[in-house]
Amino acid sequence: MDLSLLPQAIVSGVLASGLYALVSVGLALAIGVIGIVNFAHGEFFMVGAFLAYQLFVGFGFDPLLSLLFVAPALAVIGALIYLSSIRFVLRAPELNQMLLTFGIGIILQNLALLIWGGDPRTIANVPYRSLGFQVGGVSIGAVPLGSFVISLVLVAGLYWMLASTPLGRAMRAVAQNRIGAGLVGLEVDRVYLVAFALSALLAGLGGVMIGVIQSPTPTVGLGFTLKAFAIVVLAGLGNIRGILGAALTVALAESLVATLVPNGDALRNMVFFAIIFVVLVWRSRRVA
Amino acid sequence: MSTVLRATGLSKSFGGLVAVKDVSFEAAPGEIFAIIGPNGAGKTTLLNLVSGLLTPTSGRLELLGTDITAMPTYRRCRLGLGRAFQVVQPFPEMTVAENVLVGAQFGSEGVSSVEARRRADRALERTGLDRLRDQPVEDLNLLQEKRLEIARALATQPKVLLLDEVMAGLRPGEARQAVELVRGVRDEGITVVFIEHVMPVVRDLADRVLVMDHGSELARGTYAEVTSDPRVVEAYLGVEDDGSRDGAERAGVTSADVSSTEVPSAEVPSAEVPSVHDAPGGDTGDTPGKDA
Amino acid sequence: MRGLTRDLVVTAALAVLLVFLPAVLREVFGRASVSYLSLATNALVLAVLALSWDMLARTGQLSLAHAAFTGAGAYTVAVLFKLTGAPLWLGIPLGGLAAAVLALGLGSVTLRLFGIYFAIATLAFTEVLKAAVQRLPTAVAGGAAGINVPALFRPTFVAGSMERWEVAFLRNQGYFWVYAGLLVVAVVISVVIQRSRLRAAFTAVRTNEQVAGVMGVNPARMKLLAFVLSSFVAGLLGAVEAHRLGSVSPDGAFSVHTTVLALVTPIFGGLYTTLGPILGATVLAGIEETLKRTFSEGYLIGYGIVLVASILFMPRGLVGLGSKLFKRGGASASGTTGERA
Repeated sequence: MDLSLLPQAIVSGVLASGLYALVSVGLALAIGVIGIVNFAHGEFFMVGAFLAYQLFVGFGFDPLLSLLFVAPALAVIGALIYLSSIRFVLRAPELNQMLLTFGIGIILQNLALLIWGGDPRTIANVPYRSLGFQVGGVSIGAVPLGSFVISLVLVAGLYWMLASTPLGRAMRAVAQNRIGAGLVGLEVDRVYLVAFALSALLAGLGGVMIGVIQSPTPTVGLGFTLKAFAIVVLAGLGNIRGILGAALTVALAESLVATLVPNGDALRNMVFFAIIFVVLVWRSRRVA
Repeated sequence: MSTVLRATGLSKSFGGLVAVKDVSFEAAPGEIFAIIGPNGAGKTTLLNLVSGLLTPTSGRLELLGTDITAMPTYRRCRLGLGRAFQVVQPFPEMTVAENVLVGAQFGSEGVSSVEARRRADRALERTGLDRLRDQPVEDLNLLQEKRLEIARALATQPKVLLLDEVMAGLRPGEARQAVELVRGVRDEGITVVFIEHVMPVVRDLADRVLVMDHGSELARGTYAEVTSDPRVVEAYLGVEDDGSRDGAERAGVTSADVSSTEVPSAEVPSAEVPSVHDAPGGDTGDTPGKDA
Repeated sequence: MRGLTRDLVVTAALAVLLVFLPAVLREVFGRASVSYLSLATNALVLAVLALSWDMLARTGQLSLAHAAFTGAGAYTVAVLFKLTGAPLWLGIPLGGLAAAVLALGLGSVTLRLFGIYFAIATLAFTEVLKAAVQRLPTAVAGGAAGINVPALFRPTFVAGSMERWEVAFLRNQGYFWVYAGLLVVAVVISVVIQRSRLRAAFTAVRTNEQVAGVMGVNPARMKLLAFVLSSFVAGLLGAVEAHRLGSVSPDGAFSVHTTVLALVTPIFGGLYTTLGPILGATVLAGIEETLKRTFSEGYLIGYGIVLVASILFMPRGLVGLGSKLFKRGGASASGTTGERA
């Protein structure tokens, strides 16, 4: 184990946690506010990545510029999906919701496969893609740093929205008490609609950034769904504020193992899920 | 054996919050033992400790001479502890008879399926549910649901039956039937421990009464004794907003007046009473959160 | 027990039907029967997978670990034949046992997890297991590349007495019968559960575990029993799949796709029944094949649309839809429809 790599591992972990938090916070919104177990969440992420790719290939848009187009596009997609299907299963058993959203995921993924094929797609030739700088032996890439900052700003924006705007207060009211919120005159259905659209939007923006960081294929969605679920569950259902800590924990652990353990890169997933498993089991046993 | 159920120094706290504090009581064979107290006094928590849904922080529980303090719920049940819940919780997706059959099949060790069916039939008969046996439980009204709660508990062949506010929400005539049912159960030699807010029911049924307030025992004795205890009158009966009747007056209500207590005022939650049930660690009620 | 006898008779009839199905297909379709037989085999695989998942779900345990158990079965077989010269048919029961033991371990630590927490924990377990198998010494588990597994059936071409396609037919027929055997095992376990007091206990634990305990049901025991039975069947299935596919690899054997199919099919067919998962498997396998033939590319879009539509228009699955059509309503019938089948 080479401890001189420790600072680098910590920095990489912290930078990666932003994107994890962004994707998870959208899912937490869907689960916490609407109560929908959305297994298609990662597909919004994938769609965001491929829209950015298409804008880049078709119009030469810089991904930063694409963010501005992908956001409304994903909000509309999310809203349409809510209106056409999710709305009808709000009271259905959890399993029915899971099957429905699996179905939506399959549709989105295979539409993407039909359009873009199964090969990984890279948004190449972005001027800042290979940019980076060194701070005391730790190299920081412009892209990971940028995605971290953007993610953090978005997550902070969401927190602020939930805490201080009428819409955010409505969402929290609905999350805490569906019937009560209906009684005080909130239009619950509209709050759900906005929350779901927002959830898709946040995931889509995360997708744009992953499109620059990695070379995604249309099948990346489910993997991100599962990771986002794991983070949401780690934070505790309904605990949107806990997402940042949970995302940081798993991202740091992943990065530490990948960097410090020989041949550790292959262990990333194992560490991620081992933490989730141990924490869930441990937590369940602590409660009397 | 003079004691069927014995609780010694039972306490339960959730974090820093003490829901039940050093409560002791015992119930004799064939006794009807009432637990009363204002909302949030810790009555349901106490019952949850007895039936095993919660583990006491300290104290000891004995059922028929066996230490059951750390015993899981299903073994307490098989030992002879039956429980009917305040918030009725029938198993959905099953008929009335199937619900009762669960208790009959699993409530004692080594019951043959023929014997289980016989026990279930008898419990249905006792509670007047035999007519409804093939109804899905979704179709039952509140009274029928309460009967089902009792039927399921009876089908486990209990020696001690715990009843949590089975009269709440019942119409006067219905409450009278329920009182008769409980008497009948006791006449078979089953010990009944029940939580109740409807005071005339307590008066009519209880051999002895335990009054709880803020998690601890406030008084214990016969109905007449506890209702004339000034501390009880002040802490429990006195807090009612409905100033029209005081405790002594209510104590004087005759059994025929069960019919006049459709909405007993003590049942109305009072904002001034600190509610243990609403506090953090709020799994003090009947259904501790499943997603723990 | 009359109900159980009836169910077992129906199961026996199903078994007889399955024994003769290949011959019938061969008579009717000739050369084309090879592909019909593999479609029927796919349906059988899906049915066993779905039914075994459903048994577990009856206790309220929404597992996302089904791939862990089919994978355990598959790897048991693969490692067994890589390291020893064990008899060819020994791997399958051992695969089932290995999965059952694994389930006992996982089930014991997840007893206090519910709903989505249980689901995520079991999913995480599968991912950890997959990565761990990949990291085992290559000499034992073959690493990421995997291990080859001997075939159960090696029909040889005899020139003159048979046609070329009949070799494939004989191989497919062999596996078809093995899977049919697995389905019979799964159905027998399932109907015994449904016709004994276990059905009530499982349902009670699923709908309200605490009240079930107060009624004398031992929830931990019921949940573990369901876990072990379900995983035993899944392990058998994984073991046979390893033989049929000829190799195992971590990504293939522990694929999330397997888990997804395991839960999608019973929901589509009708949860907590014996008939539902089987019906769901048959219809879904048929739909998938038809879509595949109609639209060569992107046919899974249609598959997704079918799933979405099924939830929107038949929330209780095919079985629920069927009983609604035949019973013609009456609110009183809605509660228990399909529960007994």
